[in-house]
Amino acid sequence: MKIDSPDKLNAWKEECLQKDAKLKKKVMVCFGPGCLAAGCREIYAKFEEILAERKLGDITLESFKKTGCHGLCEKGPLVVIEPEGIFYNRVRTSQVKDIVEKTLAKGEIIERLLYKNPKTKERVLKYHDIDFYKKQTRLALRNLGHIDPDNIEDYVMRDGYQSVAKVLTGMTPEEVIDEVKLSGIRGRGGGGFPAGRKWATCRGVESDVRYVICNGDEGDPGAFMDRSIMEGDPHSVLEGMIVASYAVGARDAYIYVREEYPLAVQHLYQAIDDAKEHGFLGENIMGTDFSLDIHISRGGGAFVCGESSALMKSVAGEVGEPRAKYIHSVVKGLWDKPTVLNNVETFANIPLIMNKGGDWFRSIGTEKSTGTKAFSLVGKVENTGLIEVPMGTTLREIIYDIGGGIKDGRKFKAVQTGGPSGGCLPEDKLDLPVDFDTLTKAGSMMGSGGMIVMDDHTCMVDVAKYFLKFLVDESCGKDVPCREGLYQLHKMVVKVTEGKASEADLQLMEHLSKYIIMGSLCGLGKSGPNPFLSTVRYFRDEYLAHIIDKKCPGGVCRDLIRFEINDKCTGCTACIAPCPVDAITGEKDKIHILDQEKCTKCGACYAVCQFDAIDII
Amino acid sequence: MTKRFLIRPALCIGCRTCELACSLTHQENKKPGRSRIYPIAVGREQWVPIACLQCDDPACVKSCLVDALRLNEELGYIELLQERCIKCRACVAACPFGCSLIDEEQEIIVKCDLCEGNPACARFCPTKALEYK
Amino acid sequence: MKIQINGRWYEAREGEMVLDVLRREGIDVPALCAHEAVEPYGACRLCMVEITHEDWGGWKGNVTSCLYPVEDKLIVQTHTEDIIELRKTVLNLLLARCPNSPEIQKLASEYGIDTTSFVPREDADNCIMCGLCTRVCTQMGFNAISVAGRGYGREIATPLKEAPPDCVGCLACVKICPTHHIQYEDIGTTREIWGRQFELVKCKQCGKALITREFADYLIENRDIPADYFDICDDCKRSGTARDFKKLVHWEEKEEAEEEVSA
Ligand SMILES: Cc1cc2nc3c(=O)[nH]c(=O)nc-3n(C[C@H](O)[C@H](O)[C@H](O)COP(=O)(O)O)c2cc1C
Ligand code: SF4
Ligand code: SF4
Ligand code: SF4
Ligand code: SF4
Ligand code: SF4
Ligand code: FES
Repeated sequence: MKIDSPDKLNAWKEECLQKDAKLKKKVMVCFGPGCLAAGCREIYAKFEEILAERKLGDITLESFKKTGCHGLCEKGPLVVIEPEGIFYNRVRTSQVKDIVEKTLAKGEIIERLLYKNPKTKERVLKYHDIDFYKKQTRLALRNLGHIDPDNIEDYVMRDGYQSVAKVLTGMTPEEVIDEVKLSGIRGRGGGGFPAGRKWATCRGVESDVRYVICNGDEGDPGAFMDRSIMEGDPHSVLEGMIVASYAVGARDAYIYVREEYPLAVQHLYQAIDDAKEHGFLGENIMGTDFSLDIHISRGGGAFVCGESSALMKSVAGEVGEPRAKYIHSVVKGLWDKPTVLNNVETFANIPLIMNKGGDWFRSIGTEKSTGTKAFSLVGKVENTGLIEVPMGTTLREIIYDIGGGIKDGRKFKAVQTGGPSGGCLPEDKLDLPVDFDTLTKAGSMMGSGGMIVMDDHTCMVDVAKYFLKFLVDESCGKDVPCREGLYQLHKMVVKVTEGKASEADLQLMEHLSKYIIMGSLCGLGKSGPNPFLSTVRYFRDEYLAHIIDKKCPGGVCRDLIRFEINDKCTGCTACIAPCPVDAITGEKDKIHILDQEKCTKCGACYAVCQFDAIDII
Repeated sequence: MTKRFLIRPALCIGCRTCELACSLTHQENKKPGRSRIYPIAVGREQWVPIACLQCDDPACVKSCLVDALRLNEELGYIELLQERCIKCRACVAACPFGCSLIDEEQEIIVKCDLCEGNPACARFCPTKALEYK
Repeated sequence: MKIQINGRWYEAREGEMVLDVLRREGIDVPALCAHEAVEPYGACRLCMVEITHEDWGGWKGNVTSCLYPVEDKLIVQTHTEDIIELRKTVLNLLLARCPNSPEIQKLASEYGIDTTSFVPREDADNCIMCGLCTRVCTQMGFNAISVAGRGYGREIATPLKEAPPDCVGCLACVKICPTHHIQYEDIGTTREIWGRQFELVKCKQCGKALITREFADYLIENRDIPADYFDICDDCKRSGTARDFKKLVHWEEKEEAEEEVSA
């Protein structure tokens, strides 16, 4: 069925809503990245198995939906039962039968499957009463967890493709661009460039052909915002791209997805097929003379392929390597044609902006950073997962209210934002509002939305070492400052962690960093020294502790620490077996002895001791 | 084309002044370059001075894969762009008259460039065996 | 158009890069990865200069001159404090990568660096990863070698690290390499490069060899050059040309001319 007018779309939406209303209950099984890893496939299969044997009145297999990420990945697999919004977490296959028999058949709540508030230790019945969700504003993630991404009807029911109808039949491209400009939306992929301005420039360039590309490369380790959107709500990305293509005058558009995201690719293909079948893609969309095809281009998975010039080369079938350019890709991009490149999350916001207006969008967030931003919140917080908050929310709110505070009651030390080349912010920056400019001013950056929380057991030099290693490995190696400079910088950070560096080394590292930034060709090198610079800026003492006192205050750097057994030792013998080199000896109920000569500082004993009897010195 | 490079072998006395003039004109790093012209003895008291014929359909230009050889339209000669040449010797091997040359001393490829419009060989030729007019 | 370099105005041509003007005017800016035979690449970063323009409202930037197209009234500074410091840093890093390269040693010492501040590479070779060899090979249409790996482990390699099937042994890569890193050997009329052996075309008259059989065949096939042009070397072809001309010459002209002189 081709939808070729707004009226037809509305009629279809009505139809879908009615169909949906017939489902008395909906069981949303999360198929997000976290839950997939936690085994949601087996949960779903178990439901199917039970349903095959047992009739449940109105509830049929149609009521079970595989949804995108609900966000609270830490607690997966998640099962949400609508319309009540009952939120079950850490569901095991053995408990599926209970859910069917008790909750679905009789409406009983299974207490132990409910989410437990880490602070009050109380169980929370409903989805939206969980603190994690309360403080969020989900725009880009609006449909995640609520729809089956493979089902276009689910999407249409939730205002899907309304913006395409509105824009194509009632707005000129210029009006679309003006609306996007009005919204103030800035690119979510890291740079924060105003999308409206980018589109306007592209449209303004004289050319017979223009392209739109969606950047779904998402190379930051630990980040999964874009993946979750592509997997959980692929149509929203397509819809954003259709609007963008109409606005700039593109006939072909590309989604660049990394090879490691096969599920995203699968869902996007399905979505493109469905969109084509219903006339949202292809010839004469909405009965107008606007036509568009969206193609999928699969990336090789190198981090640097997310960089615009490398990405465009890769889409064109060449080696994905950054190219120095003093002519911007908006003017001369893919196949040297004017090209708009935006991030997945940027596109996912576009339909909302078109439907509700730029004014509405800019009423959310801050003046210069409008709207919301999705983050993957990971590290030492109680609730890790995928979140979305209005710009301007403070780091403290994100970490403590949404994240539920630091895990195991430990002390906060730093939060790393902006991906591998982002920066670490200390405690006294927790009240900073999260927006593009504030983060950059503080020496970190928004990046594409990775957020890693660290506790007091973290060594900041070690953190710098970790991220620098990532960048050293991911540098394409084309230019000298990035290839040789980051390598040497990493070597010197390693030297610090070994207690072998001097203060002169520290100065050399700062000097080198400055010129890596100045000299590198692409954004990777230009932001490459950030892990070092931001940690040395806020945690210089810690560097000096390594250099002068030969101590690692975080208790992480092996060459500078020692494990010692104190008098809290109860002689439980628990630590004896885990030690791989038999460095611990002792009799039951007597204080054990740790042989420093033998100890390799692996920390195995520390990890098992229940009595705080092992100190890291 | 304004002027032509004329060779009249009958007038050549084999004095090799042209060679010397060419070599001194084409200096690099203050060292004389290889002469681009050679009076070749073909019989008793008979010499034919050979230099690039500036062909209409030059094999050297066709053989150069990095476009270091091209027609200089203004002066009507085949120009070798030294900065671009990568010394692969394709032109040396391809020229049917043996007029693209290797300057072993300077480690470069050379050929007659008509001294960019004022050929030294012709100026110094004591007879009128070489003329540029 | 005109551009200003270090306070003086110079003529520049539409479409050329700032480095082209610097080189033409003999203004000393190091540039290790630029060569006129290939497209600019921007890898060594030594050619960086500071640019600004009277219309830019005071904005200044550092760009690689090999890649920056000239524009009218562009103002270029080639030796600001920061640029010099950047070049020193790059050379310092290159010296750690190629401690044994005379070319790098020389350039570094021109910038006051005699020993590197960094950790020299183990098993260092002289490749600075400028990419000139691969680019020229591509430019010539052979694509025999390419860049493999990334980051610090990036290297120039042949496909599967075996003797490259598409190589014709033209030596363009050898000749263009700024640090003379690529090795080859000519023994008699055999050439070995990249682990592959080539036979050189021998002059049918004197035996002198100029290029490989493969290279000649490529030129015959793709460049429309008659096969027999390669049978004889340049020296023998010159003599042959002279002998051919002999037949066309009216040798009596000489006597006439002599008479003229004496008259
Ligand atoms: C090394 C490097 C990696 C990048 N990786 C990504 C990425 O994975 N995803 C992304 O959207 N943008 C990435 N970017 C930013 C893109 O170059 C580009 O700015 C962005 O896709 C533009 O879209 P936006 O304006 O909507 O953010 C990367 C940039 C650099 C320098
Ligand atoms: S900055 Fe690094 S990643 Fe970017 S082009 Fe240069 S070497 Fe490659
Ligand atoms: S060098 Fe040889 S091929 Fe080239 S123009 Fe001169 S004579 Fe002709
Ligand atoms: S030697 Fe130089 S001029 Fe001759 S073909 Fe090779 S690159 Fe061209
Ligand atoms: S010698 Fe072989 S590898 Fe080198 S440029 Fe020639 S064809 Fe390429
Ligand atoms: S071998 Fe020579 S030309 Fe090739 S990349 Fe290395 S330094 Fe450059
Ligand atoms: S010559 Fe310009 S970057 Fe190397």
